[in-house]
Amino acid sequence: MNLAVSYRSSPYNPGHAVLGMPGIGMAPALAVSGIAKHFGQQTILGGIDLEVRPGEIVALIGPSGCGKSTLLNILSGLLPPDAGHISIGGARTTGFDDWRRVAYMFQEDRLLPWRTVRDNVSFGLEGSAVPRGERRRRTADALRLVGLDGVATAWPHELSGGMRSRAALARSLVVQPAVLLMDEPFSRLDPQTRSQMHDEVLRIQADSGMTVIFVTHDMEEAVVLADRIIRLAPHPGRIVEALEMEDLPRPRIPTEPEVAERIRQLRVRT
Amino acid sequence: MPKHLVTLVAQRALLAGVILLLWWIGASRLPSFVLPGPQKVAQALVSLWDSETFALDILTTCRRVLLGFGIATVVGTVLGLALGASRLLARFFEPMLALFNTVSSAIWAIFAIIWFGISDTTTVFVVFMTAMPLILTNVWQGAQTVEAQYVDLARSFHMSPPQILLKIYGPTILPYFFSGARLAFGFGWRVSLVAETIGASNGIGYRLRQAADLVQTDQVFAWTVLLVGLMLVLEGGVLKPLERRLFRWKAFSLSSRPASLQTN
Repeated sequence: MNLAVSYRSSPYNPGHAVLGMPGIGMAPALAVSGIAKHFGQQTILGGIDLEVRPGEIVALIGPSGCGKSTLLNILSGLLPPDAGHISIGGARTTGFDDWRRVAYMFQEDRLLPWRTVRDNVSFGLEGSAVPRGERRRRTADALRLVGLDGVATAWPHELSGGMRSRAALARSLVVQPAVLLMDEPFSRLDPQTRSQMHDEVLRIQADSGMTVIFVTHDMEEAVVLADRIIRLAPHPGRIVEALEMEDLPRPRIPTEPEVAERIRQLRVRT
Repeated sequence: MPKHLVTLVAQRALLAGVILLLWWIGASRLPSFVLPGPQKVAQALVSLWDSETFALDILTTCRRVLLGFGIATVVGTVLGLALGASRLLARFFEPMLALFNTVSSAIWAIFAIIWFGISDTTTVFVVFMTAMPLILTNVWQGAQTVEAQYVDLARSFHMSPPQILLKIYGPTILPYFFSGARLAFGFGWRVSLVAETIGASNGIGYRLRQAADLVQTDQVFAWTVLLVGLMLVLEGGVLKPLERRLFRWKAFSLSSRPASLQTN
C-alpha cells in the first residue's frame, strides 16, 4: 500500500482496478432498490433506492429514528431486509458470501481485550481463507497504513481513544475492502482526534479508491468527508434529499468560510 | 533481589520457625501417638520414601484424580456451554445444580461404595461428582458474559459458528473456566483421599487409613506434610505461571505496571 499523502481532487480516480473486479466499468459499487424493513408494526424503512458510485464517499444523515443505522446494517449484509434488492459491484447479492469485499466499522471500536493490537487487526482476515504468510504481511501493511506499526504488540487497554480507533480502522482495511461502511465511527473521540481520523480516512480512500458510506450526526463530519450527503426522514424512514458536495474543493477545513457556510446550511436544513 | 522480596522471604522463614518451635514444644509434652515430633515425622518420611509401594501409591492416586478431573472437565465444559447457549435448557436444569452442590462428597463416596465397591471407579466417581458441577457452573457463568457485540464483529468478518466459538466464546470463558477448574482440582484432590480411605486397597488415602488403624501417627503426619508440599509445588510451579501467561492481557490493568509509570 502506498503511503503518500495525496488528497483526492475528484471522486473518480481512474485507478479503479484496485477493486479487483476488472471490466465492471461504471457499475455502482453498491446499489439498493426498494429496501424495506419493519420491526413489529413499525416501518423503519419504507422503500429505499440508492446507488453509490465506485470511489464515492457518501454520508447518511437524519434525525434519530430515521433508519439510517438500520440502512447501514442492511448494506453490511448483517441485517436482511424484508423487501428489496442489494447489488455489489453490479452483481445482485444472493448470500452473505457476496459481502466479502465490504467492511463494516462499528460505532464502538470493539477491540478484543485479549488480543494484541496486531492480533486484533489480523482478526479481520481470520474468517477468510488467507494463508498465514499473506495474513501477516497484510496485517503489517494495515498497521503501517494507520501509523500503528510501533504499538503492534500493545494491548488495547494501553491505547488512547484515537489509537484504538486507528486499530479498528486497520482491522476493517486489512480485508482490502471495495466498500467501507462506518456507523458514527469517530463520535466518541475528542474534536482534534476526530479531525485527524478524517484526514486518515480521506488519505487512505484516495490511495485505495475504495467506496465509503458512513452514518453521522455531525454535520461538520458530513461536509468535510462526503462527496454526497443523503438526508433521511422518519415515519417511515425514507430519503428526502441528496446534496452533491463535489463542487466544494478539498482539503476542506471547517474554519474556512466556504466550508463553514455549507455546514451552517446543512444545520439549518435538519 | 528487590527489597520487598527479601522481607517476604524473611517473614515466611520466621513463620515456619514459629510453627516448628510450637510443634516441637507440644510434641515434647504429649505422647508420640498423639503428636509425634518433627524429628520422628522426618524419619517416617524417609522410611516412606524407601518403602516399595510409595511411588505406586502416589501414581495411583494421581491417576484417579486426573481421570475423574479430566472427565469432569470435558462433561462440565460441554454442559456449561450448552446451558449458556440455551436459556430454556438453563431454566430446566438449574435445580439439578442446586442438588449437586448440596450433596456432600462424603455421600457420593458412600453411594460409590454401594455401586462400584472397592475399585478405581469409586474414587474416580467421587472426584467427578465433586469437580464437574464446579466446572459446569463457572463455564456457564462465563458463557453468559460473552459480548453480543463481539459475536456480531466476528460475523461481520464472515466467521463460521465454530470459529466464533473458538475465537470469541473461548477467550471470554477461559478465565471463568480456569478459576472453576482450579477449585475443582483442589476439591477433587482432597475428596479423592476420603474416597480412598473407604473404597480402595491402595493409593495415598488407603495408606493414611492403614497408618491410622495401626496408630502410626508419625506416618499420618508424614503423608500430610508430603501432600501439602505437593500442592504447593503444583500451585507455584504450574498453576500460577500458567495463569500469568494466559491472562497477560489483564495483568497491566492491575497493580503490576512498571513502577516508573505509577509514580510521577
